Amino acid sequence: MANIQQTQAFYSLTLESSSAPTAAVTCNAIPGLKNQDQQIFEARGQRLYLHRIIESEGRTEVKVSTVVEQDAFGIIRGVTAFRIPGTPTDQLIVSSDSGRLTMLNYDHAKNSFKRVHLETFGKSGVRRTVPGQYLASDPRGRCCMLASAEKNKVVYIVNRNSEGAIMISSPHEANQWASLCFAVCALDTGWEHPIFAALEVNYTDSEGDPSGDMYEQREKLLVYYTVDLGLNHVVRSWSDSVDYTANMIFGVPGGQDGPSGVIVCCEDRIYYRHDKSNPLCIPIPRRRGPTEDPNRKRCIISHCLHLSKARHEFFFLVQTEDGDVFKLNLEMGEDAQGRKTAQPERMTLKYYETFPIAKQMLLIRKGYIYIAAENGNSKLYHVNDLAEDPEVEPENNFSSDDVSADPAADYTPTYFQPRGLTFTSLAHDVASQHPLMRTKVDNLTGEDAPQIYAIQGTGNRSVFKTIRHGLETQEIVSSPLGNVPFDNLWSLRHRSSDEFHSYLLLSSSYGDKTIVLSIGDEVETAEDTTFLTNRATVTAQQMGDATLVQVHARGVHSILESGAINEWPAPAHRTIVAASANSRQLLLGLSSSELAFFFMGDDGVLNQLEEMPEMSGKVTALSVGATPRGQQQAKFAVVGCDDCTIRVLSIELDSPLEPKSVQALSAIPTSIEVVSQVDPASGTAVSYVHIGLQSGLYLRALIDEVTGELGEVRTKFLGARATRLFPVDVAEQEAVLACSSRPWLGYNHPQSGLHTLTPLVIAGGQQELEAARPFASEHLKGLCAIQGQNLLIFGIPSIEGRLSREEVGLRYTPRGMARHPWAPVWYVVQSEGNALSQATKQGLLPSSSTTAAAAAADGDGTAMDEDSADPEELEKHLGLSRAPGHWASCIQAIDPIDRKAATSTVELEDNEAALCVAVVAFESRNWEVYLAVGTGQHLRPGVVGTTGAEPKGFVHIYKLVEEGRGMEFVHKTPFDAPIYAIMPFHGRLAVGVGNELFVYDLGIKALLRKSRGTVVPNMITSLESQGNRIICGDVSESVTYVVYKPKHNRMIGFVDDTIQRWTTATTMVDYETVAGGDKFGNLWVVRCPEQASKESDEEGIGGYIVNERSYLNGAPYRLELRSHFFTQDIPMSVQRTALVAGGQEVLFWAGLQGTLGMLAPFVSREDVEFFGQLESQMRAEDAPLAGRDHLMYRGYYVPVKGVIDGDLCERFLRLGVDQKRKIAAEVEREVREIERKVQEMRTRVAF
Amino acid sequence: MADKLRTQQQLEALQNKYIGTGHADTTKHEWTSNIARDSYASFQGHPPLLHYMSVGMGQGMERTRMHCMESMVLPCGPAPQTEE
Repeated sequence: MANIQQTQAFYSLTLESSSAPTAAVTCNAIPGLKNQDQQIFEARGQRLYLHRIIESEGRTEVKVSTVVEQDAFGIIRGVTAFRIPGTPTDQLIVSSDSGRLTMLNYDHAKNSFKRVHLETFGKSGVRRTVPGQYLASDPRGRCCMLASAEKNKVVYIVNRNSEGAIMISSPHEANQWASLCFAVCALDTGWEHPIFAALEVNYTDSEGDPSGDMYEQREKLLVYYTVDLGLNHVVRSWSDSVDYTANMIFGVPGGQDGPSGVIVCCEDRIYYRHDKSNPLCIPIPRRRGPTEDPNRKRCIISHCLHLSKARHEFFFLVQTEDGDVFKLNLEMGEDAQGRKTAQPERMTLKYYETFPIAKQMLLIRKGYIYIAAENGNSKLYHVNDLAEDPEVEPENNFSSDDVSADPAADYTPTYFQPRGLTFTSLAHDVASQHPLMRTKVDNLTGEDAPQIYAIQGTGNRSVFKTIRHGLETQEIVSSPLGNVPFDNLWSLRHRSSDEFHSYLLLSSSYGDKTIVLSIGDEVETAEDTTFLTNRATVTAQQMGDATLVQVHARGVHSILESGAINEWPAPAHRTIVAASANSRQLLLGLSSSELAFFFMGDDGVLNQLEEMPEMSGKVTALSVGATPRGQQQAKFAVVGCDDCTIRVLSIELDSPLEPKSVQALSAIPTSIEVVSQVDPASGTAVSYVHIGLQSGLYLRALIDEVTGELGEVRTKFLGARATRLFPVDVAEQEAVLACSSRPWLGYNHPQSGLHTLTPLVIAGGQQELEAARPFASEHLKGLCAIQGQNLLIFGIPSIEGRLSREEVGLRYTPRGMARHPWAPVWYVVQSEGNALSQATKQGLLPSSSTTAAAAAADGDGTAMDEDSADPEELEKHLGLSRAPGHWASCIQAIDPIDRKAATSTVELEDNEAALCVAVVAFESRNWEVYLAVGTGQHLRPGVVGTTGAEPKGFVHIYKLVEEGRGMEFVHKTPFDAPIYAIMPFHGRLAVGVGNELFVYDLGIKALLRKSRGTVVPNMITSLESQGNRIICGDVSESVTYVVYKPKHNRMIGFVDDTIQRWTTATTMVDYETVAGGDKFGNLWVVRCPEQASKESDEEGIGGYIVNERSYLNGAPYRLELRSHFFTQDIPMSVQRTALVAGGQEVLFWAGLQGTLGMLAPFVSREDVEFFGQLESQMRAEDAPLAGRDHLMYRGYYVPVKGVIDGDLCERFLRLGVDQKRKIAAEVEREVREIERKVQEMRTRVAF
Repeated sequence: MADKLRTQQQLEALQNKYIGTGHADTTKHEWTSNIARDSYASFQGHPPLLHYMSVGMGQGMERTRMHCMESMVLPCGPAPQTEE
């Protein structure tokens, strides 16, 4: 299938997948683990994850580690897990937009998800009447129900046949016309017929009644659907009206464990309902405090159940929308003999903790609570105490006694005082990036690769993030070495059987000296060793059983176990320039281009091979591989010469120094290491040669075990300095550390199994390392390195992620950011809806407190806490004070480099919310730099046509002082509508107000209007410009190109779009082309037709463009669509930038749910053709897991155009050998070649 | 005539199966309500869209979802009075 696209095509890749959880559930999917050791099955964006909780001994360190992740190429809407009786592991069920139910298993052998069943029940896509919105499964594992927002419900019955295979029934429908479903849950009925409960509202009557009375009388029903397993059908068995505000239901344990029934969560109240019991009701306690509205009602947003099957005890944890978690207990009545009956008599609530707002809260039997957070980092808490003692904090106990279960009845609200963590402690923080409001790639630090600056989060947990591609390192020791520049080091064991290193040799070729440190409890200079210290060391190695060998320019100095010293002098007039050794073999390169080879016998003495073959050029680097385990000698050595070649030589004793193969290079090799690493495809250890070149390139090639031929060469540019390589051990695997202008670690990624090259981010220091070696002492294990003039000992905590992040805390949800033109300072505008502003809060706080700090403390109620926690910390933990209709907003200057904090803050008042920001140099003020902030006043997002003050807008102007770190208010100018877009334009300020575009200049008391034009249909949400061309993004009608005619001071829109795109982000790729994203998760590239572009740039206003007639009520011309791609995540920023040192420019985009992705332009047509073929083969061979058609998915709203899905192509690397071969045959390439091409597409331009 | 009957039956079957299948006398109110219900179902069905709205409105996703669900009951207000 030839690609007939004539224009630029792009390769879409996800750099970091979405982190926002859609659904999560605990399961026991991995066979062979204990029942206690539950895993977490989580859906984030379009990917499915299986996590495990890994504890170190003594639970000192706990982490959530991903076992498997898989891209499902579909919108995942719900997950659940259940155990079919008699099967060893849980079945995982996924509901997605494919119109199909997917049942998965975890395949332990392949470490992947295995699809067991894929049952079609409806159309694909997210539709009102296609089930999939709700998913519930019977706790006894007999059936599951999918429901849609309106009308449809389907039930699948599953069971196990005699062969152990899982059978699934045909779908049983339970449809109800015109009924809206608000929630679904499964009841626990023991082994009786399964029952599903649903919250439903029927709208037939409301719709039919013009007077609106029926609407007022509408009812919400709790409906039971009984699945009759004998008759194989579903019947609506019971229904009763409940409180109309009900939003969530969940089942109560039944059978032997409890009374069965459901908990119905409503606004401000929780009910217990069942057809066989009396209802119970308890109000949800409200927060107490001067800044809390005593009448505000909360609803429950997440819950989890703890059930002890052995003791038949259970309780729930329920979380309110403030994040407060309560423990909900049901107490049973007692009969005359004092035995417990199945009639619940009272409900109790106890305030437990305040956690971040959870999309899903999971209680894990090992004693953890996992919060899959709606915004920000997901967290794992260790449960120290279940708050079972009613005597602890008795004021936080609430009960249902004396509360009427009638929704219409009055009740007295209850109050509690929220506090810091008491019963739990934070065990692990899962780094997340959602909601990612904006990103900007920039290089503020002068590193060779740019950094990604991002604003993320909501409320007071918001952060300003600096994201770098790299693994985080943890500095353990850093000690200065003095003025002599050391350039290499070696850590040596005393005996080969030792566990820890004993010596550390540091060599300086500049000072021609070596210093020896001994490693014990401390690392200190060793005086009494017999190492040579007045020479620079070429290499040092512990060989044989206990011989220490030090190679220097003039010879080989070996120290035997007895203390005796053997010296092998270099031949006359020749020096040793390169050397490499393993535990038996030593290879030297002499200045005369000769090689000298030694073999160590059992006596610890080096025996030289008489033959000294000459190489073709000067030897610059050489390596013998480490001695393979259980063998005496390594097979191959690799020698690099200054004629830009490397040679593979056999170094086995029966064919010593016999040449095997030659490979030409692009530059002189400076460092070579032969390392045996595990090949992830086969799982066996194979030898790779890693080569560092003078040009900063790094190569990795496979050595054929038999012939010694080199193959499978991968190349990567690391930095401007010559690359030097060091074999190290990281996370129990052999890895290579490559030092160029930055250190890079080459390792097999634990999840993908691919060889990955990731830079190390050395915290707060010089990024360059001279040399690095493994370091193991009794107390610490890690790496030691020479960093400039310091000896650095550091560890790499985890090699799972590929990004390192630094954070600066913000106050409210960030909305926009702008950078100072030269100083490394960012301005972040923040605003929080439904939250009390700082000023209002101060006014509410008791006046008795004298200082502001004390006032804040009182406000949060810490005054009552004896162990008075830091009030700011506590406020951060509890969240902002909420109040409907109020706005809190501020502007902060952030210095992420030096101060790593906000350097100045301006709080806004009068219910204003800062929305956008720009740094403008005004021409009229001699190009002095000002900060312009667009705000909205009395904003009511999501509320249409209500009374009250109309939203207004302002533009604030601040003067930047102290090198941009300070802001001084100049003035503010009122506008009729909120300002969503603002941009510097020709030394003035362009402002989008509603559907009008203005250009303003700075005046003394206000902004002065210079130009005005009505250019878009609805509301300008983004502005971009190049020259006199301005690109206006409209909230719902894509982009309009506007030309500004300075002589005539007119703005003329000349091109707009044919499709309504709800634009969220735009960027100008070049003068003609705009790339952008919309609210429905599309990325698109549009281009101006040549004719229109020419006309618009004609001199003067007499030209054609002004008189051009409007076409179909729009601009005279229409944009051409060049590329279109559905990403699912909503792009919030699009930017044309390079991402790695020496990389080509790409379109980088960042999505709301934390996705970082890019569109990389294809360079050659052959590549487009090849990847097009590969993509279509992959679609057929590796159909998406959840049953969505890949092409349909990527063309969800508009058919995919000009974009090849790199994520799908990369799935090729994870296929089995047979499938790979099959695809390779189809596209007429070698498997290895496809693998190389796919990997290079990523590494060439990104990470 | 039989053809016409069959068409009629088929149309009725469609109307029963798929909500929003119009008929000759579809009113503006019915049509707009149907569109609005579709939209609200889509807002809550696409997790990123729901997330986007929740962040914009300064409230939790569950509240926004409830808002969407509740709006589906009578999205365009009560039907206008029909003139007999």
